Amino acid sequence: MVLQALWQAIEAWPLSQYIVTSDWLFPTLESVHVIAITTVIGTIALMDLRLLGMVSTTTKVTEVSHDTLRWTWGAFGLALVTGGLLFISKATVYMVNPYFVWKMVLILLAGVNMGVFHVFTWPSVAGWDASTTPRPAKLAGALSLAFWLAVVFLGRMIGFTLDQFIAH
Amino acid sequence: MSSILDLLFAFAVWLKTTPLVKLALWIQDTPLTGLINSNIWLAPVVQTTHILAIAATVVSVLMISLRIFGVAGQSRTLAQTAALHLPWIWGALAVLLITGLILIVGEPVRELLNPAFWVKMVLVVVVVLVTLGFQGLVRRHADQWQVSQRGTLALRAGAVAVIVLWCLIIVLGRWIAYAPV
Repeated sequence: MVLQALWQAIEAWPLSQYIVTSDWLFPTLESVHVIAITTVIGTIALMDLRLLGMVSTTTKVTEVSHDTLRWTWGAFGLALVTGGLLFISKATVYMVNPYFVWKMVLILLAGVNMGVFHVFTWPSVAGWDASTTPRPAKLAGALSLAFWLAVVFLGRMIGFTLDQFIAH
Repeated sequence: MSSILDLLFAFAVWLKTTPLVKLALWIQDTPLTGLINSNIWLAPVVQTTHILAIAATVVSVLMISLRIFGVAGQSRTLAQTAALHLPWIWGALAVLLITGLILIVGEPVRELLNPAFWVKMVLVVVVVLVTLGFQGLVRRHADQWQVSQRGTLALRAGAVAVIVLWCLIIVLGRWIAYAPV
């Protein structure tokens, strides 16, 4: 397959080889990745729980968004960079791992959920900023929590199944 | 870097001379270890819960710290922000303790004879003590802080220290899987 050749080529990059042959680089990237994803998920969950009306209900939705959003994006950038570096070091192994593929799909779905919320629900925020959130906002919050929880679980499953799906 | 690894290695060698070896082997022989490992989904689910609890802690610590620096939670006093997030930290720590214990019983040798594990535990105790100290401070000085927008220098230093401590705890947690046992 053409794609298979692509993953092999990526794995052969000097940077990929450097990461995979280093004693400490892979675990260090993983560590930073965990710091980044806990920040991403923590800040997102805070916003989701506010949308669901379960936490910090006396704080305006826009204030919770102001306090969390830049940290979400900053940490997401860090997770993307560290995750990308982990990926290129074992690209062929990850691409045949169903947990990895599903993890990527769910991150995509979480992004779509966020985009839909941003385009259709967020413009009316002034009307419910300090009161009960409308049903679409609650739905976006619930979906977001579910997607990100699944992302963490799938991410952890990758580590348990790394050598299970490669052809021996 | 290599000197740190040497130190960890010496620590691992020393751990093997302690009664922890007997304890780890004894735990391993109890039916509990077998029970935890008999289900392939259990460890990943417990670890996922552990990571989600860390996420709850990290964001709570972050929000209190940002309030101390006066860049978040502007509509609340520091005391109100602390009252909002501290219960989450304690709740999450309880979840971390329970899930952590399950993981130890699942792999007692890999955890109890692991230098990264013990350094992590020391840092956890330190961060719990610092958090308790912070909670006491907030309770005693709640009145003054209701009017002050920015925290004192000591508070800001404490906030940075707690964030650094949690980052180190996360790093060590990941290194448990790689440290020599």
